[in-house]
Amino acid sequence: MSQADSLPRTSHNPTLATLLSLIVPGSGQAYTGKRERGLLILLTAGVLIFLLGWLNLWVLAPLALPFWLWQAWEARLYAQGRNPGTMRLVLSIALLVYAIGWQVTQIDLSRVITSAPKVVPFVTGLVQPSYFDRQIDTTSIPAAIQIPCGTTPNLSSATDTGPTMRLSAACANPGDRITISGAGFPADTEGEIWFQNAIGDRARARGTDGLLAFVADENGAFSIDALMPVVANSDPQTHRLEAQYVTRVGPLGLSETSRLVIGRMGETIAQALMATTLGAILAVFISFFAARNLMRVNPATLAVYYVTRTLLNILRAVEPLIMAIVFVVWVGLGPFAGVLALTVHSIAALGKLYSEAIESIEPGPIEAITATGANRLQVIWFGVLPQVWPPFIAFTVYRWDINVRMSTIIGFVGGGGIGFLLQQWIRLTDFRAAGAAIWAIALVVIALDFLSSEVRKRVV
Amino acid sequence: MLEVKHLSKIYDDGTHALNDISFEVKDGEFLVVIGLSGSGKSTLLRCINRLIEPTSGQVIWDGQDVTAADPSQLRRVRRQIGMIFQHFNLVKRLPVLTNVLTGRLGYVSAARSILGRWSGADRARAMANLELVGIANKAHNRADELSGGQQQRVGIARALMQDPKLLLADEPVASLDPATSHSVMKYIEQLNREMGVTVLCSLHFLSLARTYATRIIALKDGVIVFDGGPLDIDDARFREIYGEEAVEVEIR
Ligand SMILES: Nc1ncnc2c1ncn2[C@@H]1O[C@H](COP(=O)(O)OP(=O)(O)OP(=O)(O)O)[C@@H](O)[C@H]1O
Ligand SMILES: [Mg+2]
Repeated sequence: MSQADSLPRTSHNPTLATLLSLIVPGSGQAYTGKRERGLLILLTAGVLIFLLGWLNLWVLAPLALPFWLWQAWEARLYAQGRNPGTMRLVLSIALLVYAIGWQVTQIDLSRVITSAPKVVPFVTGLVQPSYFDRQIDTTSIPAAIQIPCGTTPNLSSATDTGPTMRLSAACANPGDRITISGAGFPADTEGEIWFQNAIGDRARARGTDGLLAFVADENGAFSIDALMPVVANSDPQTHRLEAQYVTRVGPLGLSETSRLVIGRMGETIAQALMATTLGAILAVFISFFAARNLMRVNPATLAVYYVTRTLLNILRAVEPLIMAIVFVVWVGLGPFAGVLALTVHSIAALGKLYSEAIESIEPGPIEAITATGANRLQVIWFGVLPQVWPPFIAFTVYRWDINVRMSTIIGFVGGGGIGFLLQQWIRLTDFRAAGAAIWAIALVVIALDFLSSEVRKRVV
Repeated sequence: MLEVKHLSKIYDDGTHALNDISFEVKDGEFLVVIGLSGSGKSTLLRCINRLIEPTSGQVIWDGQDVTAADPSQLRRVRRQIGMIFQHFNLVKRLPVLTNVLTGRLGYVSAARSILGRWSGADRARAMANLELVGIANKAHNRADELSGGQQQRVGIARALMQDPKLLLADEPVASLDPATSHSVMKYIEQLNREMGVTVLCSLHFLSLARTYATRIIALKDGVIVFDGGPLDIDDARFREIYGEEAVEVEIR
């Protein structure tokens, strides 16, 4: 320490300073005349102790040792008239702060490894997005049943070639157990049993363990028990039990998932387009009130400027996702809520950018146009607009790009768009469909990113 | 004829930029205003067409009191007074030709100009004026693609579109190199000699002023400290205007 010699020697007792700081952090520093630093150390120690207590993280207390010891040593150095620097003090505090942060955020790297299997289905879905599919062909094999049993149970079950289904009785009372036997089904077929009442209402038939499903054996046969439901009419009526299964036929085509993804992606882009356009139009008006150079005219206009600026700042601070939640409550689920949320956020963001573009226009050309004897409109058209429209366009296209990104997730809170599907599919653990949505989002976002940067390059 | 009577300008922050200035400019004169930076040259020139509102005093142009003109009268006065600037003040993103055409704004209706429906005569004149200043080939370039000297020539062409009787030039060559400065000054001199445009031009360099002026006014702290012929400024005068330590620099 070369500069140590140049500092004036002080008459403070190093041992006393050390002891003081060991007892009350920072007090030794205060004793040597470094009042502010002492106070800062005391406050830091107080906050750290409070955090450890509040979060019940006393296990981390040993990590406070470097800080405690160093600040005591620092007091000694000050007492000796030397300059300890700030680096080590900051590092010793940072050690504890990061340790607390690590605990608070429950960082547990081992879980990343041990829980890896849980993400496998998701990754599998991601690498096999369900864009293409064979056509689905639904086959229903019916059998009639009379409920409740009447006097003339007169039913015939039509049988022809292909799968057949027989019931253990031709009539039953509500709650009765009927055995359904199938034969001639394709081997290993999985299917569902449905109940269709006399007026055509359909519902899954129930067994003793809930909804009825069947699996045919290698011979195409199955047997399963169904509980007959309560029906509205007490007169005997003919209802239907159906064994239903799907087969995939024909060539690969666009899957239902793809259709949904394309439709909702269109909605997403449209949402972003509407929000950007509406937001841009309103922001253009507002930006004039938020431009200091235009609002300096008198104290009243300056007040308008400050109010506008403050409002814009507050609006911009609220994430669009939170706004979407508010608008979903306000106007209901769906894309409109998303449009409103994105519009408000766009106004705030564009209002600021536009007003800054207005603030940075050069007065020179305006002066020159005015000097030609042009009127106010001509001055704005020839002197102001050519200066502001290129940045306006650039900011707007960029905002559209951002809005597309945002509207892909705004569906998570019910704001419409593809996020709505994605969130549903993730909940239903349909990861192949989720994968399809995620890739589509990535593709569209990248494409728009590229497009917007090209447009920006061209106008500026 | 231009008459300036007891003109004063006090800025909002209390700066006295002009203090009771009076002088006359006769038709056809090439009057150069010199003075140190901050002496009030720009303020004076801008007060004449009221780009800056004078605090008191009068500007009389061809018998009309400019300082008392209402907005539409003021526009009519302005369109007869061309102006060129140190930083050219072209609209950078617009083509050169459009920049030149804006010189006609005081003469055409707002609707026509905004729709870009310039008359054939105006277009032809714009091209002719660009020809005159030697950059007709740049007519369709964006203004900011031109060099400084070329931009100032566009500025001159724009001013010419106004059919000006008076040209105000605020340090028209201060951001140009010496050779280009002379070429631009020659164009201004040409307007003055051949078209009879009265010129009121502020300049930094005395040598330039001596070359082109028919008369020189010197400003110091907003007051006229010299008014006379270009050859009347001797060393004593020079030090009076520019301060004791100043050394004259030649621009060739
Ligand atoms: N908008 C303004 N507000 C306040 N003071 C100003 C303003 N414009 C100019 N001034 C002041 O008025 C005085 C004269 O300025 P002016 O620009 O007229 O000088 P100038 O002779 O043109 O200088 P230069 O040679 O540097 O262009 C200066 O003191 C300047 O600071
Ligand atoms: Mg100036």
